[in-house]
Amino acid sequence: MTQSGKEILSARQVGFSVDAPGGRLDILKDISLDLNGGETLAIVGASGSGKTTLLGLLAGLDRPTSGDIRLIGTELKPLDENARARLRKRHVGFVFQSFHLLPSLTALENVMLALEIAGFEAPRKRALDALDQVGLSHRLEHYPRQLSGGEQQRVAIARAFAGEPEILFADEPTGNLDQRTGESVADLLFELNERHGTALVLVTHDMRLARRCGRVEEIEDGMLAGGEVAVDHA
Amino acid sequence: MNATSLSLKLLTRQARSGALIMLFAGLVVATAALAAVSLFTDRVGRALERQAGEVLAADLVVTGRERLPEAYRDKAAELGLDTAEIALLSTVLFVGEESHLVDLKAVTEGYPLRGQLKLADRLGAAEETLAAIPEPGTGWMAARGLSLFETDTGVSVDIGRRPVTVDRVLTWEPDRGGSRFMLAPRLIIHMDDLLESELLGPGSRVRWRLLVAGSESAVAEFRRWVGPRLEERQGIETVAEAEADTGQALEQARRFLGVAALTAVILAAAAVLLAALRFSRSQRDLVALLKAFGAESRQILLALTLLLLWLALTAIALGGLLGFGAQAVIGQILADGPAGELPAARLLPLLGSGGFTLLLAGGFALPPLVALRTVAPMRILNRSLDARPGLAGGLWLLPVLGALTIPVLQLGNLRLAMIVLGGSAALAAVLALAAWLAMGLSRQLSKRTRADWRFGLAGLHRRRGQGIIQITALGLGLMALLLLMIVRAELLEQWRGSLPADTADHFVVNIQPDQTDAVRDALVEAGARNVQVRPMATVNLIEVNGEPPPDHRWAGQVNVSWIDRLPPANRVVEGAFFAPDATGEISLAQRWSERTGIGLGDTMLFEAGSRRFEATVTSMREVEWESFNVNFFILLTPSAGDALPHQFIASFRMPEEAGPLRAVQQGWPNVSIIDIGALLDRVSEIIDRVSRAAQVVFFFTLVAGVVVLLAALEATRDERRQEAALIRALGADDAMVRRGLLIEYGAMAFIAAVLATGGAAITGWLLARELFEFAYRPSALLLTTGFLASFVLVIGSGWLGNRSVLRTSPIRILRAGG
Repeated sequence: MTQSGKEILSARQVGFSVDAPGGRLDILKDISLDLNGGETLAIVGASGSGKTTLLGLLAGLDRPTSGDIRLIGTELKPLDENARARLRKRHVGFVFQSFHLLPSLTALENVMLALEIAGFEAPRKRALDALDQVGLSHRLEHYPRQLSGGEQQRVAIARAFAGEPEILFADEPTGNLDQRTGESVADLLFELNERHGTALVLVTHDMRLARRCGRVEEIEDGMLAGGEVAVDHA
Repeated sequence: MNATSLSLKLLTRQARSGALIMLFAGLVVATAALAAVSLFTDRVGRALERQAGEVLAADLVVTGRERLPEAYRDKAAELGLDTAEIALLSTVLFVGEESHLVDLKAVTEGYPLRGQLKLADRLGAAEETLAAIPEPGTGWMAARGLSLFETDTGVSVDIGRRPVTVDRVLTWEPDRGGSRFMLAPRLIIHMDDLLESELLGPGSRVRWRLLVAGSESAVAEFRRWVGPRLEERQGIETVAEAEADTGQALEQARRFLGVAALTAVILAAAAVLLAALRFSRSQRDLVALLKAFGAESRQILLALTLLLLWLALTAIALGGLLGFGAQAVIGQILADGPAGELPAARLLPLLGSGGFTLLLAGGFALPPLVALRTVAPMRILNRSLDARPGLAGGLWLLPVLGALTIPVLQLGNLRLAMIVLGGSAALAAVLALAAWLAMGLSRQLSKRTRADWRFGLAGLHRRRGQGIIQITALGLGLMALLLLMIVRAELLEQWRGSLPADTADHFVVNIQPDQTDAVRDALVEAGARNVQVRPMATVNLIEVNGEPPPDHRWAGQVNVSWIDRLPPANRVVEGAFFAPDATGEISLAQRWSERTGIGLGDTMLFEAGSRRFEATVTSMREVEWESFNVNFFILLTPSAGDALPHQFIASFRMPEEAGPLRAVQQGWPNVSIIDIGALLDRVSEIIDRVSRAAQVVFFFTLVAGVVVLLAALEATRDERRQEAALIRALGADDAMVRRGLLIEYGAMAFIAAVLATGGAAITGWLLARELFEFAYRPSALLLTTGFLASFVLVIGSGWLGNRSVLRTSPIRILRAGG
């Protein structure tokens, strides 16, 4: 259920701060950005620049201390944790650096779990399709510990796309993989993204990966560096 | 910074660490259980010591089944010794429609020669010491007796034909002995009343005691004089022997409660080990940092040891306090009579339980902390460069040694300790296996369920090692408590209910041959049913197959009876029962035959007075002893028996009120009526009291089980929070996370509750079958209550330990490195 061209995500003067012993510590300041259906955006920056925090706020995992975020046409500010969870389960997918598969569930069950949380009909059939798309139909009953890092991330990608979300958030999706595996996982991610027309927000410090996105925003000391980073679409 | 201040800093800064709290809780529970038991047994021990010399109310006692000869008293007087005489007799007393078994003690002037009686004017009144004995016509009854009869001082009772007015409450008598929890209530009367009661007919079951006291040398002289003059069924008791007896009773009580405490200690040790492993893991970064900054291994080791010492000392203080409270409860439950009979608890035994706690800390918590010594400072740069934590090689030996040493030291008996350890280990293994199977099954079932069920049950399966430990630990504690509840509430009651309606519940002994018919008629008139009267004689077994009997335990005096046909509730299993007019034949009960090895075809030679007779075993009988009819191991032919000096014994069933039996007792004062129902009530009461005392101790076992559960939870908290954050990020709301946890802990609680309830019911059934020989059926109500209580407890503890998991924010998933 993708909405190509339509506004999917919009952040207006978003700030995030925490109380620290030395006083108030601003982690993010005055961030504004937009993303339409099917678009891809990379957020790059040094460690500690606040890019992962920004990803969490954009995905509704936490609330900004200032500013507004609209996700799938819904203001996040007035929503409590449960309401944001309901929004995520139908419209948002995730891929994490550490894969975050539940070790006690098989590959198939891990994918099914997300679908069941979202309340999809026939979760098993959808999960089987998704795993087939990432080339893992022969590993359905394997537990995460029986899979390689690349395979685990492919299960996580299948989990992310199985519910056909409108927007996918990926946090350093190749960060824990060697270069070759990382590239093949990235290929898969972009291929599925294109096929499903999903919007993608990707946090990385790997510029090669970032450049595969339509847009790259650099974050520095909690602020967007102003002006998009040049993207080489070669 | 020196090691002491480092240890204090580590302790205070991490005082809120879950692992440290669990470690502390484990040590507290162990201390409390041990302290409760050692404080209580110390009190009982001192109560007995306080009576040293008083246990006999004399320095020496001559005992006999008949009144002791005048010559003994004369000799004692000649040696300048004080004497007094006691006669002891169990008899049923009647007050209105109430009848109860009473331990009657008739005394002469001078009693007690050592120690003092304490009395009160009425129930609840202040006690005072009195150096006198009851006036003739009056008696002093123990408070429990008056309570049983639902009366107070001023009531009149008939001792045989002699009316006696109870005018004081007996609160203390020195020669009560170690069986203080066992006897029927005491009634002390003047010897003249007993002598005039006509209770002392031939063959009466009175035990006579001549008390002697005076200078050590005169007592020794008397002993030398009387020793060779003792007749058959006479004996001597001294203070040392009496103390050995009471000491044995105390030792048994101490062991029983010690075993109960030990199960709590074993579980607490498991909790301590789990928590220490977790704490050790959480300290690795800190230790690596300290090392990188230049701290030496030795200094860190010392600081960690000191930290544990501070923790153990605090636990000893708190556990000691809790144990102190618990022993007061045990003392109340087991006290016979007004509180204050036992001396106040003192603090000395706490040193012992404190020592055990230090041993527990050293054996179970120190090894994981010592293992921190090996943390590589490189860990600070790269965690993967640090070897996996663990108890390398020899360090595992410490907990193992601790597990073996503590029970031996605590019980002071290697064999018993090994039995308890082996028993607990076997039980734990059975529970663990059952838990493992149940978890495997739940995982299979979860594949066919919805997301929340799958998530919850998969969590249980994923942490099944921890889960098995949790279920086993809680299962053991719950099972022990439930089993005691079953024994208390149901087993005895059902056993009595399982007896046929006309099962004898009274005996009348000492009926003389010329009284038999009249007594039988009077019993029937009083409403007795199933009256059976049997002759009985006491004979000496001299030879078996021409040889003296090989075993002194059953040789000598035996009771025999005779009958012309096979008695009811008997079945011949070997040979053929003798004909009515047979001679020289004998029938043996199978149980006695198994004990003695005497069997079919063996010849036995008996002696009665100056007469000797021989008979050959021609049949073996299986006897239904639980019928409570009068049954004998040895049955003679009527022709052999009728010639022996004998008396009769009757058994019967008395429906409802025993009041009409008063006429029988008054009509024939020499006979003794024994109320088996009253005896059974007394046995039930003892079992009830001991079970309740044990429940107090087993309560600590349950608490230790809960600590194990929380310690295991603590060890997996990070993992759970991670999982909760993930499913939240995937869109699960609070309700789903809650449901997942509820399902995981509900399944665990269900398995633990089924195992504990089922285990207790099966053990109760086995006990009933082996000890009471009836088929026990646990009541649905008790099992349901036990199951629900277990279920709620486990699920509640799980919920309590998982509160932080419920509060986990999904943003955590992005911050965790994985």
